Amino acid sequence: MSELKENLKAQIIEQLSLEDLTPADIKDDAPLFGDEGLGLDSIDALEFIVLLESNYGIKIADPSKGREIFHSVNSLAAFIESNQ
Amino acid sequence: MKITTSSYISAAGAFLNGQQKFTFRETNWQKECYQQLGLDYPKFHKMDHLSKMTVLATELIYSEGHLNALMDDEPELLFANANASQHTDMKFIESYTQQGNPSPSLFVYTLPNILTGELAIRHKWYGENTFFITPQFDSSLFAERLYHAARKGGNWCLCGWVESKVDEKNKVTEECFLFLVALTDNTADRSSFAAALDELLTNYRNGNSGNLNR
Repeated sequence: MSELKENLKAQIIEQLSLEDLTPADIKDDAPLFGDEGLGLDSIDALEFIVLLESNYGIKIADPSKGREIFHSVNSLAAFIESNQ
Repeated sequence: MKITTSSYISAAGAFLNGQQKFTFRETNWQKECYQQLGLDYPKFHKMDHLSKMTVLATELIYSEGHLNALMDDEPELLFANANASQHTDMKFIESYTQQGNPSPSLFVYTLPNILTGELAIRHKWYGENTFFITPQFDSSLFAERLYHAARKGGNWCLCGWVESKVDEKNKVTEECFLFLVALTDNTADRSSFAAALDELLTNYRNGNSGNLNR
């Protein structure tokens, strides 16, 4: 699980072109969206959808679950583990 | 029209009113500037370079209290550059030609005037904003537009020349020159204002102190 989280952090940085950040800057449980975490927005949610499909072959069947799935690295990793 | 405050940032350093505030050691000097200013604004890290430089140069002005007077009187925004969003355009092209997917987060920055939106979000400024593409810094254009803004009854205008250019050898050249103009001050005519602007930018580019007392 920890390896998956580290991979996810690196992929988030690359996918979103967050060139200022390193994986160490992203906490497992910090909110990814909004001002408290990485400051991501709805456009970046599209990037997560692309990331999940291209790197893990996972499609989100229920878009209303997106907010819950994309909350943090922890929630993303849990979703990937349960859908692979 | 009178320039009350100016800032300039490039890889060579950060300057406020002609005085050097920071020098940079890192290749990612925009991140270094962010850290030196002590900013805590996560959205910064996902911005394109034009927006990052504009936010930083504006924060420099804020750091000295020069923008406090605008809290109840938001400025108009007047910006320009020569190469639009070329740097981000190239990254966006790379996202779909080499990485397989057009990146939405890059796409939103494939217009240079997005930087005025970033300023509006950061400072809650909702006044008029304009962005020109001109072959080089055109002080006469700024003077003319500011003259008309003053005639319309504006009080303040935050202006900027913000450039992020990638040449044929992939060398990136970047600079951001901001100047805050009091529109109600009638001490300078358009031609002398334009000449002062040219001299100020030249001084910044040459690393000399800018003279604001014009």
